[in-house]
Amino acid sequence: MGFGSRQEAGKTVVEIDEPRLDASLATPFRDYIFDLIGQGQKELVVDLSKVEFMDSSGLGAMVAALKQMGGSGAIELANPQKAVHDLFDLTCMDKIFTIHSKVNDALVSLPKSH
Amino acid sequence: MSTETNQNQDDKGQWLSLSINSQIEDTVLVAMAIRGVCSMIGLTLEDINRIELCVVEVVNNAIEHAYSGCSGSRVDVEVVIEPGNRLEIIVKDKGKSMPALGDIAAVQVPDPANPDTWTTSGRGLPIVEQLMDAIHYESNESGNAFHMIRQLG
Repeated sequence: MGFGSRQEAGKTVVEIDEPRLDASLATPFRDYIFDLIGQGQKELVVDLSKVEFMDSSGLGAMVAALKQMGGSGAIELANPQKAVHDLFDLTCMDKIFTIHSKVNDALVSLPKSH
Repeated sequence: MSTETNQNQDDKGQWLSLSINSQIEDTVLVAMAIRGVCSMIGLTLEDINRIELCVVEVVNNAIEHAYSGCSGSRVDVEVVIEPGNRLEIIVKDKGKSMPALGDIAAVQVPDPANPDTWTTSGRGLPIVEQLMDAIHYESNESGNAFHMIRQLG
């Protein structure tokens, strides 16, 4: 359970080993990502494969992380389950996040510029 | 969490009543119960996921705003099922009331070129308004009630 990260192909893959990224985990998740950014990690790929449910608080944490980058990095998402992909579609967040079907696809992609 | 059922309340079909402590980590208890009910009445997986999302948003809203995030109070959730007709979910609290629902803004579309539009909060109730067929909010001396209605069939 919890969050982890690994370096791969010059990017930082963030693993969320939690079935629900909801209001009870939004702040710990945001703090974890802020720490990575504070350590100089600028190309993050968030592996969402284990997340079965995300609410607006989890989404807000993801947006806060993107803003924390300050335009000098990228956060891309990979492998969301249907309910999570649906949330990004419903809120039009797919306009500011690139969503890949696989982590490997994210690793070979060019960072999205804002 | 306590549960009870009664099939003849007001001839409204079946109903289920749930109560949780007002702490954010307990919202999942209601979420799982709602998923079970939605599955039982034959909703699609997409609909089950969306109704779960709406209930979580409204329950969390009650805990965070009506009770200012403090545990030790009750959030009550009532589910009324009229088979083949409609599903109504009512989230009740006895904390601070919120402004009228007419003030809910539509889901704000973020502009990739303007980070000021990448808001980190305030999406919960707009999502609920978008996904439910009808919502309304009542507030009186006995408490607050957020109603969500979804047509069935």
